Parts: sequence; C-alpha cells; structure tokens
Amino acid sequence: NAVPTGGMEEVAVSTRGGGGTRRMKWALELSLGNTRSRGDRQSSQGDTLYPIGYSDKPVPDTSVQEADRNLVEKRCWDVALGPLKQIPMNLFIMYMSGNTISIFPIMMVCMMAWRPIQALMSLSATFKLLESSSQQWLQGIVYLIGNLLGSALAIYKCQSMGLLPTHSSDWLAFIEPPQRMEIMGGGMVL
Amino acid sequence: MANLRTCLAFLFLCCSLCDAVYEDQVGKFDWRQQYVGKVLFAHFESHSQASKKLILATDKNIVASLNPRTGDLFWRQVDKAGPEGHIDTLLFHGQDAVVVTGNGRLLRSWESSVGALNWEMLLDPGSFLAAVLVGTQDSVKFVAVLKKATVSLHYLSNGHQKWTETLPDSDTVHYQAVYSSGGSQLFVLGVVPHSHLSIITFNIEDGEITSQRSVDAPWLSSIQARCTVVGQGVLICADASTLSLYMLPLSSEEPVGLQQVPLQSLDLDLALGFQPVLLTTQPNPARPPLAQFFLQLGPDHHVLLQLSDGHLSPLRDFQPAFLVSFATTGEKTVAAVLSPKNETACSVSLYSADSGRRLLDTTVTIHLDPNGGKPEKLYVHAFLKKDDSVGYRVLVQTEDHTITFLQQPGRIVWTREEALADVVTMEMVDLPLTGTQAELEGEFGKKAAIQDGLAAMVLKRLSSQLILLQAWIAHLWKLFYDARKPRSQVKNEVTIETLARDEFNLQKMMVMVTASGKLFGIDSKSGMVLWKHYLRNVQPNAVFKLMVQRTTAHFPHPPQCTLLIKDKETGLAALHVFNPIFGKKSHVTPPTLSRPVLQSLLLPLMDQDYSKVLLLIDDEYKVTAFPSTKNVLQQLQEMASAIYFFLVDASQGKLSGFRLRKDLSTELIWEVVIPPEVQKIVAVKGKRANEHVHSQGRVMGDRSVLYKYLNPNLLAVVTESVDTHQERSFVGVFLIDGVTGRIIHEAVQRKARGPIHLVHSENWVVYEYWNAKSRRNEFSVLELFEGTELYNSTVFSSLDRPHLPQVLQQSYIFPSSISTMEATLTEKGITSRHLLVGLPSGAILSLPKMFLDPRRPEMATEQSREENLIPYAPEMPIRTEWFINYNQSVTRVRGIYTAPSGLESTCLVVAYGLDIFQTRVYPSKQFDVLKDDYDYVLISSVLFGLFFATMISKRLAQVKLLNRAWR
Repeated sequence: NAVPTGGMEEVAVSTRGGGGTRRMKWALELSLGNTRSRGDRQSSQGDTLYPIGYSDKPVPDTSVQEADRNLVEKRCWDVALGPLKQIPMNLFIMYMSGNTISIFPIMMVCMMAWRPIQALMSLSATFKLLESSSQQWLQGIVYLIGNLLGSALAIYKCQSMGLLPTHSSDWLAFIEPPQRMEIMGGGMVL
Repeated sequence: MANLRTCLAFLFLCCSLCDAVYEDQVGKFDWRQQYVGKVLFAHFESHSQASKKLILATDKNIVASLNPRTGDLFWRQVDKAGPEGHIDTLLFHGQDAVVVTGNGRLLRSWESSVGALNWEMLLDPGSFLAAVLVGTQDSVKFVAVLKKATVSLHYLSNGHQKWTETLPDSDTVHYQAVYSSGGSQLFVLGVVPHSHLSIITFNIEDGEITSQRSVDAPWLSSIQARCTVVGQGVLICADASTLSLYMLPLSSEEPVGLQQVPLQSLDLDLALGFQPVLLTTQPNPARPPLAQFFLQLGPDHHVLLQLSDGHLSPLRDFQPAFLVSFATTGEKTVAAVLSPKNETACSVSLYSADSGRRLLDTTVTIHLDPNGGKPEKLYVHAFLKKDDSVGYRVLVQTEDHTITFLQQPGRIVWTREEALADVVTMEMVDLPLTGTQAELEGEFGKKAAIQDGLAAMVLKRLSSQLILLQAWIAHLWKLFYDARKPRSQVKNEVTIETLARDEFNLQKMMVMVTASGKLFGIDSKSGMVLWKHYLRNVQPNAVFKLMVQRTTAHFPHPPQCTLLIKDKETGLAALHVFNPIFGKKSHVTPPTLSRPVLQSLLLPLMDQDYSKVLLLIDDEYKVTAFPSTKNVLQQLQEMASAIYFFLVDASQGKLSGFRLRKDLSTELIWEVVIPPEVQKIVAVKGKRANEHVHSQGRVMGDRSVLYKYLNPNLLAVVTESVDTHQERSFVGVFLIDGVTGRIIHEAVQRKARGPIHLVHSENWVVYEYWNAKSRRNEFSVLELFEGTELYNSTVFSSLDRPHLPQVLQQSYIFPSSISTMEATLTEKGITSRHLLVGLPSGAILSLPKMFLDPRRPEMATEQSREENLIPYAPEMPIRTEWFINYNQSVTRVRGIYTAPSGLESTCLVVAYGLDIFQTRVYPSKQFDVLKDDYDYVLISSVLFGLFFATMISKRLAQVKLLNRAWR
C-alpha cells in the first residue's frame, strides 16, 4: 500500500526540481494510473482530477490472514512482557552498582525508577497498541505487573541505598523545638 | 589494617577541620587592642633628644613604654597577675627602668629602648618599704632598697648587691624612708609612732653605720607623705594636729631637736580635717633635692614654699589648684599647676620653681569629657626650646583611667582608654537599620496599616521603593567612585551617625562594662570607641550585670540596655538604663531599689513598647518589675505561676528555688543544701537564653535517633572540696533542674582540683579541672540523652518529666591549663559547635566539640564510622592552626564573648583580658558565603563563552538545515 505514496513523492520532487538549480535527469513514475501525471498537468485545461493515490482498479484484499494474526499476537506479547524481561537485567545492574551513594548508582536508580513510571503514565497508549490482540486484557495486566515490579525494584534499591525516608532520623530535621512551659532564671547571689 | 584506616580517617578529618587564617586575611576580620591598665608611675625618657619614650608602670603589673607621638606601645612587659607581680616602685635613670616587684621580692632593670631585661635580682625576704637611686660624685651608681629590717645597696649596672645591713631595733622602729643626696652617706629614717624619730646614717662604700640618733617627735605617726627631705638635707614634716611644719637638718652632728614652724607664721591655713601632703623633687639623685617644695593644704589648695638659710618662706599660693607637679629640663626646674577653669575645662600653667613666677605662654587648656572623670594625676615633661624657653607636654590621668597626652597649646596628641584593660562584662547589640530600611519598617508597621487606607498605602509603598532605588544608586555610585581610588586612600570612617547594620549583621555594637565604672560602645568591625560614659559613684568592688532589654528590632523605639550595679558593701543596687548605640542615658526612670538586690531575671515577656521585663529580687524575696506599667503587671499576673527563679548562696552552700505569686511575692518551692564544710559551690551555669538548637537528636549508625535531653531549665553546679589535700580533694558536678530542684545527675571527680572552667550548652556540659593525682589538666564532657523515644515533642515542662535522661561521660587529657572557655553560638544552631578556649599563653583555641563527645568509641566500628565518630584517644591535641588569633596573643584572657551574626556559618567572638581581640569564626566553614578567592572571572567567562557558543552554533545549525533543505 506504500506504493502510491512513493509515486507521489517522486512527483513532488520532480515538480519542485523544475525550479531548482539541480534538475532531475529522469524520474520514475510508479503510480498505477499513467494518466495521472498528465492529468496533473492538464488540470488547468479542466480535465477530471483524481486525488492522489486513486486507482481505477479495485484494491486487492489485504485483510489479516491467520498467519499475520499470530504475528500480531506475538508482537503484543512482546510488548506486554517487555518490562518483565528487563527485571533480570535490572537486578544485575543493581547488584553491580552497589549501595554507595555516588553519581552513577544514583543515575542508575533514577533510570530504573523513571522507566516504569513513564510506562505507567503512557499506559493508555500501550493499551491502544494492544487493542488488536485477542488477549488484550491479560497482556495489559502482565504489562502493568511488569512495570509495577520494575518500580518496586527501584524502590527496593532506593531503600537499600538509604534514600527512602523510612527511619525516624529522616524526619529529625522537621521536629520543632518543644515549647517551653516555665520561665526560669537566677544565679549566684550578687 | 583497621587501625591504619582509622588513623587515616582521623587525619583526613583533622585536615578538613583546619581553618587557619591565610596570610592575606590577617587583620581583615579581626583586630586587637593592647592596654596597660591604670598608671601608677610614669617617667619621660629625656636622655637623648631623638628617642623620646614614656615609661609606665601600672596596677596590672606591667612595665611598658609608649610612643609619645602616637600613644602606641613600644614594648610591654607583663608580670604575674596578683600581688606576686605587683610593682612597688619604678625608678628611672638614663636608659634603665629599675622596678621592684612583688612586695620587694625582685629587683629588675629594664632597658628602656627595646624593653629587654638588663638584670634581675632576687631580694632578701621582707616587706618592701622604699627604694631610691643613689649617686656619688655626680653619677648614679646604686639602688638602695629599704625593707622592714634591712637596707641593701645594689649596683645599677648589673644588680649585684654591694652590701646589705640589718637595721637596729627593727621590731620597734618602723623604717619608712631612705634618702641620699650625692654624698657618701645614706640616711634611713624610721619612726616609733608617737614617740621619736630615728635617723641612721650608713656609709655608702661599706655599709657601716656612721651615726645613729633619735629625735623626739611625739606627734609623728608616719613618715611617708608627711615628711620629706628638701634642700641640703633638711627633713621637713607637716603635722595637722599642731598646724605646724617641723624642720630637722639630717647631717648635723650635734643633737638638735625639731624646729617648729607654725603655719600661721607663714600666713597659711590648713583646710579642716585635711592631712597636709608634701611634694618635693630631686632632679638628679646624685645631687640634693631642690630647696623648693609644695605643701598641699586642702583638696584644691597648694603652696610653693622655699627653704633658704634655715628659713621657710612661701613663694606662691595656688588656690584653686587640684594637681601640682615638678619637671626638670637641663638645669631648670619648673612647677606645673593644674587649676580648674570652668565646669568642663582645666588649665595647666608653668611656674618657675626658683621664684614662683609664672612663665609666659605656657598655659594649656584641657577640655574635660563631660562623660569622663576628673583629673587625678599629672605628669609633666619639660624640654628646652631653641630659644631657651621651656616647653612642655602633659600626661593627664583621670579617675576613669583615661590617659591623655597634651601638647601646647592644648592640643590632644592622643588618648588611651586604659579602663578597657579591665572589662567585666559585655554584650553585643545589633546596629540600627539605616534611614531607608527604617522607612520600610515604619511603612509596614501595624499602626500605620490601620491608620491609612489602601490608596495611601500604595503611595507610601511607591515612595519608599523610590527612596530605596535612590539609595541603591547612590551606593553603586560610591562603590564606583571608591574603586577608582587606590585602596589605601579609601577610608571607611565610622561615626555614630553613619552606623548602620550591614547585609549579614556582621557589624555590631560591643557594649563593654569596665571595673572602673566606665562604659564603652565599640564598633566591632574597626574596634573604634564610639561612645563612652563614666559612672561616677561606682565603688571599686561593685558587681555588674548587663542586660539588653530592647534590641534595635523595634523601630521607632530606641534600643535599651540596663546595667545593674551592686555595691558589695552596702548591698544596695542601682540601675543605669541607657541606649547601647549612642551611650546616652535613657529617659526611662528605673525604679529606686531601697532593699539590697540578690538577683535579677530578664523575662521573655514584653511590655507594649517591646521592652523585656526585668525582675529584681530583693533580700526579702520580693520582686520589683521594671518596667512596671499596668500592662506588664497584668501579664505578670497571668504568667506568675510559670515564672521560677533560683538563688545560689555559695557561702551557705544553699541552692533555693522560688515561684512567683500573683502579688509579686514569692514562695520557696525547693532547697538543696551542699554542706559548705565539705565542699563549696564555685560555679553555677544555666544555658544562654539566645541559644537555639536546630537538631533535636543525634542520628545513630543504624539511622535511628538518639534524642537529646534539652532541658532549658537545667543548671550545672560545680563544687570544689574544702580539703585541698591531693589525695582527698575532689570536684563535684551536679545537674539540677532549676524549676523542680530535682537532681538529674551528680558526678564526683576524685583527686581533682580547681580552678574549674565550665561550659553548659544544648545537652552537654564541658568542664576542665586539674587532676591532682596525675598532675595534668583534664577535660570532661557530660552529655544527656532522652533515649530513642521522645517523651513529649511539643512542649517541655520540667514538672512533667518522669524519666531521667541517660548520661554519658568521657574525659580527656589536655596539654595546657586554660584561662577561660566559651562555646560558639550561631543564629539557628545548625552549624556545628566549637569550644573557644583561652590559654594562659594568650592563644585562643577553637576546639571542635566533636573531639569532646562521650560517644567516641574505643574501637572504631562500622556504625561509629557511619556517625563520623572519632575513635577515643585520651590526649586532646592542640593544633596551632586552631588558634583563631594566630600571633595576636590576648594577654591574660579573662573572658570570651560569642554572639551570632546574620550568617548561620559565622559567629562573632570577642576575647577580653588585658587586651581586646575581636574576630569571626566559622565552625563549619563558610558554607553560606562564596569564598574570598572565588573566581568570578573564570565563572563569568565560562558562562558568557557558553552563551555565545550556543548562539553561534544555533545560527550554524540553521544555515546547515537550510542548505540541506535546498539539496
């Protein structure tokens, strides 16, 4: 189905090339209707004008075959399982980066945390992608679980690096000094 | 391996801590002023014309030399404080300043040009009475020192003793004076009170007694100040009871009695009840004294008398005349007389000593500071001018220990405020806002907002913004203008009018109270004295307590300080209320205190004029409030049940706590008695009222929190044992809650002795003592923690604290004794704390508190490393880069005052003792300020470079895109 568009491009290039310095030496017309280019030129003469990509012949049946359906299914599963497949890799990276707080581990953790979040945010777009699949719901859930697992892993990494405010010491700076109930003073007898 | 690692960690830590001053920062943020104290003896060095010096000996046991042109110190020799180093007398001859110190313990000679010690001699024991220079054959060779039972003669050149002789009958005869007139004889005069006068003559060569006689003098009780030798060895005594002068030739062989000359025969009259004083001069010790002398007959009445051929005759009568003095130059001797001119001025005139005639054009007018004291002493330096007339300079010492050097005709060459050598207490007060800032403050004041409508407020806002803009442009212009001038020419003159708070509140007003009763306002940036005020009727042993009642934050109300002055003897107290910025006495009338005041208490309550309420507790435990308006009394009634105070009576060893009742009487609620027979209370310290603690706990290695026990009512009481025997002496530390009297903790340090220095802050107490067993100084730190759970995180009430805190303690060896100790203080308490330790060497050590941490582990573990705890080491290091005053030693440092600045990283420090030193410290380095050497050029050039590079590359990218599109 990409064939007519290709022809159109060529047409467009060839017509624009006419005004430029570099003229095309030759052009290949791939559109089905041979008359169309002529028709283009003859448009001023009031000839019938067909839209781009118009073909007189009937379009051959391009409905999805059984084999293609399997292909789509497979592709959808690929999409759905993508996040889960990344987990072992992430685990490896986590192990390698260690628990010290420095620029590279922080970058890794950020990446690890950001990717699932991004994926979760564009969940509707992914679902649309999976629409064509028959197991759309299952795939959607698997995809969701994969991403959730990914973010859980990132949180676990943050936890093990000590980046999560889970200890009382993390909230120490927010404790206000207690209010004083009594006023006291005095000293040695002058 | 682990050990090595801890060592490395430690080294790294230490390296990161050092914040010594760079060479180019010297004197940039700090200044030092050196003082000498109240002048006791002064001599002008007139030996050579070129090097004129002023040699002083002071009550602070100091011999110093001043530059008469500028008043700066040439050199200063500081002896031991206290009676051991007390300067008994200063004799000056040629280049040598001979000093007797420590009640006749030491005889020293100082070289006057550089201040080097010529020689030092240990004298025989015995209390010192008098010393004179002894000359023979027109040259001065010896020093004679008279003690209670002996008289000794020393060579001036090397201090060696020529001879020493015991005085006969020294247990009955009080020998008091020694005299020589250039001959071969040395006279020692003694008196048996109300009986007779004893005169012993020694031979200078061998110390043999050549003659000894006694003369009846039943009216005579003391020789000092009553008797003097004039002319050719004639002793003259003045007696108030018989209103007569008595004369006696010393060297006559035949026994003659004292010749009585009634004052009436000289047409003189003694002021009622006044003891006459004789003043004579001996210009050259190798020659007899002058025949002319002054007789003081009343507080303002002096007479110049002459003795010629055995007859006394008055030369001139000076009335009124407060002070008289003789001065000699070459062969001429003149008498200087200070007489009052009017209320605020005095005049000094010269008179010829021979004739009593007034010398022409010699009057110097001295304008007295209305906030200063009266002249007390007069030292005159006379010199011969080119036309052979006598010129002179005067050194006037006033009651407030100010010394002023004047030149003819009345020009003040310099002034030194020697009262500052004895600062008792001080406060730092924020400077007021500038006019424009004040304008803004006024605009947004509450009252203004209520009065004006919306439109008026907008107009006001616009106008004030305009004023600000104007000020800013003026400031920029000034910066630009100053930048063009060379740096040395730019002078930032600080006057009281131009005083304004700077951006970071780093410049403050130091209000200093001195022992003499003189108050000073000093600019903390330059060290300039901006105002001074002498309080006239302050007793020498008075106790001072300075409080800031209103800061400068409450424009348009002026700031207000209150000084409580308590006379030790009568116990009565007075309040001096003043404006700390201008030094002026406030219009507010303080309450008259009829009963002795025991203590005062500054409450955080404010009256409607924003002045904090001061409570004064008298000896009947009644309370007087100041200010005591209706508003205040109402607030006090409401708050009464929450106001507590404690009193510590060290003599009875009693600590007592009181609570305020609604009628301003008090009730005793607790009492702790520490038996004074066993131990005496030496120090009680609470926490500073302006201290803020940012962090309520400490983070442990496992990331849990150990909460600090921050009891604002906690008192640290230190006691010393009465028994000072090395084995039995001890030091006790009690932590007592000031509201309930509950003893939170007590610790006893056995075999320890004072003097104890104590700092109490946050949740810790640091004290230093002498370990008598190991013979070393030790630091001990107590830290209090509530545990891992907070009992009540919102309010702190001493009455509701069922659990005692956990107390941790650790001790360290410190390689030096210390003089004083204080902790740094910052605005919000985020910055880590340092201890500022004044050492006897004059250095001020900034010791990080992390070294004094009872949680320092013996063995470093993973967790302790996580906490940044340094492994315990018993020795505390002294690193020279921790000295915040590099080589600017603060002699005899007595106190350190710390104040927060507007910058959280910066703490202002003033160390005072004999000298005053001011600087800034950054305990956690300057984390909130760009460094001095910050590379603005590099950063801005990089920024601009990047900016242009972006612009250029953007343009290039556009061109490239276009080209590609055309393809």
